[in-house]
Amino acid sequence: MSLTRRGFLQFGLGATLAGVASGLGFSLEKAVAKAAAFKLQWTKQTTSICCYCAVGCGLIVSTATEKHPAGAGKVINVEGDPEHPINEGSLCAKGASMWQLTANAQRPPKPLYRAPHATEWKEVEWDWALKRIARLVKDTRDKTFQAKNAAGEVVNRTEGMASFGSAAFDNEECWAYQAVMRSLGLVFIEHQARL
Amino acid sequence: MAKAFFVDLSRCTGCRGCQVACKQWKNLPAEATKNTGSHTNPPDLSSKTYKTVHMLEHGKGKDLQLLYFPEQCRHCYLSPCMTASDVPGAIIEDTETGAVLFTELTAKIKDKQGVRKACPYDIPRIDEATGIIHKCDFCNDRVRQGMLPACVLSCPTGAMNFGEEAAMLALAESRLAELKKRHPDAVLGDAGTVRVLYLYHEKPELFHKYAVFAEALAPTSRRALFAKLAPRVKSSLG
Repeated sequence: MSLTRRGFLQFGLGATLAGVASGLGFSLEKAVAKAAAFKLQWTKQTTSICCYCAVGCGLIVSTATEKHPAGAGKVINVEGDPEHPINEGSLCAKGASMWQLTANAQRPPKPLYRAPHATEWKEVEWDWALKRIARLVKDTRDKTFQAKNAAGEVVNRTEGMASFGSAAFDNEECWAYQAVMRSLGLVFIEHQARL
Repeated sequence: MAKAFFVDLSRCTGCRGCQVACKQWKNLPAEATKNTGSHTNPPDLSSKTYKTVHMLEHGKGKDLQLLYFPEQCRHCYLSPCMTASDVPGAIIEDTETGAVLFTELTAKIKDKQGVRKACPYDIPRIDEATGIIHKCDFCNDRVRQGMLPACVLSCPTGAMNFGEEAAMLALAESRLAELKKRHPDAVLGDAGTVRVLYLYHEKPELFHKYAVFAEALAPTSRRALFAKLAPRVKSSLG
């Protein structure tokens, strides 16, 4: 719709008068003002894939640009991609809440750790957590690695570890993740999209 | 140019995609709810919930029926809520899209319960903290940008539809004709008076107490009065 400023003013005025005449307190100007503060102003759109199940619905992610008051890079909105062949814009209840994957005050800001036999969780630093995970992975793999099975065939695997997750990975991230797990020799690799 | 919703309840599977999409687009907070014995959650509309999917069970054994009713404002052609407001600009209609909108000025309305009571569908809810009255706003911001309302975009089954008024009415009529073969009680609720047209494939009262206006209410009540007035005024206006 292309309206000149003059045409726009006339349009607004006419509508306001019509509103007064009908006695219903109607005013288009307010409605126009409401539409002006549009949520997706100063955002750019990129596509993504829903991570929550194996259907693989397409998403449009609106991210703030420098002009946006929320600050560049913040995700402002996520909704179904109407041009995606799988879902044609639709999303289920879980997919429709996808925005909360990036913006959720209830999410723990740091890793939580419960030591063996401890009853309480405590917040730890990422650095510490990743080092500890790496240490345990290495030790377990060394202890349980099988180069050959009982029949003497080469298997190069460990049955001492299993992987489950992540619920927040999309298809491509899952591929990279399983490649790392297989290179360690894991055979029990599962993802929640198969639940 | 005005728009309309067509909600085909025979196609609703109660997935709640619309309900969550509504909350998400409007950034509305979650509500702490309790198990009421029903799957409906939140159990009712509120100042933070503009749309909720009612989940109902009727009958037993072989006759068991599961019905789903995604409830929202109907955006009446002639809105009784508007006449219950004593503050100009508090309840307005965008004639370009047809949306009936509650603005922040609703906080100044003296008889807020009167606004809720005037609604034949019992939709408006008052925020006790701010005094502002809330309800579905047609996603008027999206619609004016040429986008579908959040709930309609999200619907995976084709239950929620949105478009030009004439196109929605044509779609509604054709679905009604088709459904009538298997569901003799199928009916378009309050056709000709509302912009959110529900196709009930069973008797409307099975879906919600206020699914269609108000024969159950006393004829003198405001709700019933306006409900009865609306179609007549509409036809006299041509």
